[in-house]
Amino acid sequence: MNYFFELLANRIGFSRIGRISLSKERKLHIKTPNIIIPIKSALMKQFNFIQEFETHDLFIISKEIFLKIGFLREKFKDTGFIFHNSGTLEKFTDTLMKNLEIFTEDNILSIIPFNIPTTSSNKDFALKEIKNYLSNADIILKNHPNLNFGLSIRIFDYSELLSLYIPFIKENENVKILNLTDVFDNFSNFRGIINVIIEIKEELDNNLVLMASGRIIPKFYPLLVYLGIDLIDSSYLLYLSAENFYDTIDHLLPIYKVKYLPCSCIACKGKLKNLFENKHSSEKLNLLCLHNMISATNYMKKIKQYLTYEDYRAFVEKSSFDDTNLISLLKILDRSYFKYIRYETPLVQESKKVKCLGPSSYNRPDFVEFRERTIKNFQPEPWTSLIIILPCSAKKPYSESKSHKLFYKVIRKYPEFPSFQEIILTSPLGAIPRQLENVYPVNSYDISVIGEWDNEEIEIASNMLFKILDKYDETIPIICHLGNDYVEIIKKVASVLKNEFLFSEIHEKITSNKSLQSLENLIKEYKDKFILETTFPKKDYLSKTWIRKFIKILDYQFGAGSGIKVISNGLMPIRIKANNKIDLIDSQTRENVGVFNNITGQISLTITAIKRLTQTPFSTNFNSIVFNGEKISGNTLFRRGVLEYSGDLIPDNYVIIWDKQKNNVIGAGKLFVGSNVLKNSKTGRIANIYEKV
Amino acid sequence: MRRYDISEDMNKPLVEKIKFFRERALKNKKKCNKERLEQPISFWIKKERLINEIGKEFTIILRTRGCSWALGETGGCSMCGYIEDAAIEEVDPNLIKKQFDSAYNNKVDEIKQDSNNYVLKIFNSGSFLDDNEVPRNVRRYILEKIANINNVKELVIESRLEYITSEKLEEFSDLRGGKYVEIGIGLETVNDYIRNNYINKGFLFNDFKSVLKKCKQHYIGVKAYLLFKPPFINEQGAIDDCSNSIKTLLNLGVNSISINPLNVQRNTLVERLWYQNRYRPPWFYSLFKCFKRSLKQKDLNKVRLLCDPSGAGTKRGIHNCLKRECETSAKKILSNFTLNQELIALDQEEFECNCKKKYQLQKRFF
Repeated sequence: MNYFFELLANRIGFSRIGRISLSKERKLHIKTPNIIIPIKSALMKQFNFIQEFETHDLFIISKEIFLKIGFLREKFKDTGFIFHNSGTLEKFTDTLMKNLEIFTEDNILSIIPFNIPTTSSNKDFALKEIKNYLSNADIILKNHPNLNFGLSIRIFDYSELLSLYIPFIKENENVKILNLTDVFDNFSNFRGIINVIIEIKEELDNNLVLMASGRIIPKFYPLLVYLGIDLIDSSYLLYLSAENFYDTIDHLLPIYKVKYLPCSCIACKGKLKNLFENKHSSEKLNLLCLHNMISATNYMKKIKQYLTYEDYRAFVEKSSFDDTNLISLLKILDRSYFKYIRYETPLVQESKKVKCLGPSSYNRPDFVEFRERTIKNFQPEPWTSLIIILPCSAKKPYSESKSHKLFYKVIRKYPEFPSFQEIILTSPLGAIPRQLENVYPVNSYDISVIGEWDNEEIEIASNMLFKILDKYDETIPIICHLGNDYVEIIKKVASVLKNEFLFSEIHEKITSNKSLQSLENLIKEYKDKFILETTFPKKDYLSKTWIRKFIKILDYQFGAGSGIKVISNGLMPIRIKANNKIDLIDSQTRENVGVFNNITGQISLTITAIKRLTQTPFSTNFNSIVFNGEKISGNTLFRRGVLEYSGDLIPDNYVIIWDKQKNNVIGAGKLFVGSNVLKNSKTGRIANIYEKV
Repeated sequence: MRRYDISEDMNKPLVEKIKFFRERALKNKKKCNKERLEQPISFWIKKERLINEIGKEFTIILRTRGCSWALGETGGCSMCGYIEDAAIEEVDPNLIKKQFDSAYNNKVDEIKQDSNNYVLKIFNSGSFLDDNEVPRNVRRYILEKIANINNVKELVIESRLEYITSEKLEEFSDLRGGKYVEIGIGLETVNDYIRNNYINKGFLFNDFKSVLKKCKQHYIGVKAYLLFKPPFINEQGAIDDCSNSIKTLLNLGVNSISINPLNVQRNTLVERLWYQNRYRPPWFYSLFKCFKRSLKQKDLNKVRLLCDPSGAGTKRGIHNCLKRECETSAKKILSNFTLNQELIALDQEEFECNCKKKYQLQKRFF
């Protein structure tokens, strides 16, 4: 086994699923994200504690007494341990030397402690202490080059001091876990927290495991996982239990306030309720510890469930909603750090309903990615003679909704309809060209609509609409078939564009016969007003709705102009009902150029298509990896096989693989990771190869 | 571990803070009048462990100019507020003699009539061997005066290392009159980094070892003071550090080890940290754990281990949960242990408080 951490999948934000292998000798994997349960003598005396957590896979121990072969190899042989001495570094070194065999052979990894000083008097003091810690840690790491360690990171509330650790970590390859011991103690310093996370992600190897310890309550767990934390030390719950706090996840309640036990764990079902009144009961503290630990462990299971199978971002928002610091952190991360987070967030979330909960969702990284990609890559079809702006619908894709079917009926009455550009206005995504309605997240999002838009929604939609419309000739008429709630957006855009904006008359509702009639009349009146300089191309396949979509989806995925390069001969889509995919067959050559996945809204291209795509002009600086060889074998591309890569790689996007000389395309893959991970990692899986020469 | 080099860097950020609090305290301090300077700060008699037996201590605390380390450029030690008791300005040697006489005359008859043996402790919240604090003639005067009290078997004074010279040690050889003399040195810890960076003591362990050797040559005993839980050290760190210090000193052959659990003194950096909830005085449980971990009963035949904490059982001193029964019980255990020098005393809890559980669960976060 030659890895310590293996990334299995990236998820939204910095969140990720992975596994660690603590032992070099045995094949025992511990899944991340995970919670670490403290083992203390006081808890081990409780039968319930042992019974409850005997199947848990990761514990933290701080006493030498537990470093016994009998304990580690017999009682907990399939369990991982982290050793974290809470005293001095000298004592730690002493313990390490005495138990070297155990640290070398067992499923245990030690963290070099940085418990002292407990606080700092000012920044210079903190700086001096960090330097001293690192010089001592350096000796330990250099003395044991074959032993893996965790390094404690303390910043004493000065996030800029993290930079002291960076070169040190890069230099010492046996540092495998970064234990952020005080970074999350003060969530009101959310900017500091973000700075630390961004610096770690920007500067350090992605295969380093991030562990959070310190004053962390379960309420923070979802956000911590979103920030890329792999392991969370739950020891602080013992402190809170001793202070008589009962954790309901939503709130930490002083025990005297608890009248109805909202939990049915072994502690709550048992004696706990009878001990509330007893101020000085050590049994009550035992049971509180047990309840709080169970509740945190269950919450972590819920996090894993959402992370794997649901829209995790919505879960993070929901769980952070009533904490101003958490929600501020999320908003600032969205607004100011998208340029970092975009290379960590997968382009799509498969089979997940994306819920927008309100302002906190407006700038989710997957939404911003969609907006930016669309604005950058969507180019008007040169034959567009009329633009029609329509409202969104609850059903996705829009064209399958009742309202859009009615709009379609009206629009398709005119044989010129392929030269009409439909744009759908929606919150919070913005303005969606009809061709991209099947792309994630347009095909999956859901938001409550009450007919009123807030200022931020109006700003987002008008900004995007302006950027798309601005690409068109200023004399093309724009017909708006929209309800009153959209008028504000159009007004904002109309004030800066020269195009003529025409509003259909809405009677009662947008789909009423009268309203549709008004739309029809407008189309009839204005469809020929704009005189096309370039006449509609002879290639009639371009008028087909699905082909128009595929071209724009390819542009969206691979950059403007890509679609027309790949689909140059027309296309024969063959629907494969079994897996909800469409095979894209070249009408002339009968070659398969790609597969459209209806669930993700993405097209995976074949080598044939990629060769067309990479005809000049095409740069390897775009969506590409240069392979360190001439031919790929196997289905997985690892970091060691990557010679060069473009800086725009995003997890789950498709990537073109070139040979060493950059002369020939030798394969295509779907990325596990983005450019940032590639930049900082020396090992790990990079892409799944689905096509190779 | 990397060896700490004191010449390399004093902890300047800490020195600045310590000096800030020290200067502020001294600015607000009232000048001592002549009447005050004729009286010692305090004196008392109480039960105490002597080298080989249980006896009594007669302690006199003299008011002198004050600790030169605290009044100097470095601002003194981070936890020490004894400078508040000092005169700050130079004190006439005759007044110091008067202070001694006042206490001596008050208690001398009681001591002479007592069947117990005594240890006389003469402290001056600074260095007894610093000529600027206690001039040579005053030292001689005191030594000559006590030489005649037969049941005073031991004499204890305190000094910083730099004032313990061969010349001064010879003063004791001449005048001790067969009494056992012990010099208390605030070593605080054997760890140079902690001593100089968190306590601001300004010397190295090697310096202590040289002085110990010198004292042995002059048949003068050494009592090493260890600070239990200095500022910036957590509870487990305090146990680790102090037990490491005790073990090291045992091997080194010091005569007595006096453990001083930190108490929060006025106008100090520690007091500021304490107010900000960034420092908590140690728990009794930690202290007992430290003793159990570092000592074996037979060690106590070689060394005298003392611990008489100031402010014990109060929120500024070593304490558990501040519940009266709990604190009284802990203090009693400690007192029994030091008087009898028996480790078994540490296990004789009369009152088992549930705060022990709280301590076990929360220790990592203090």
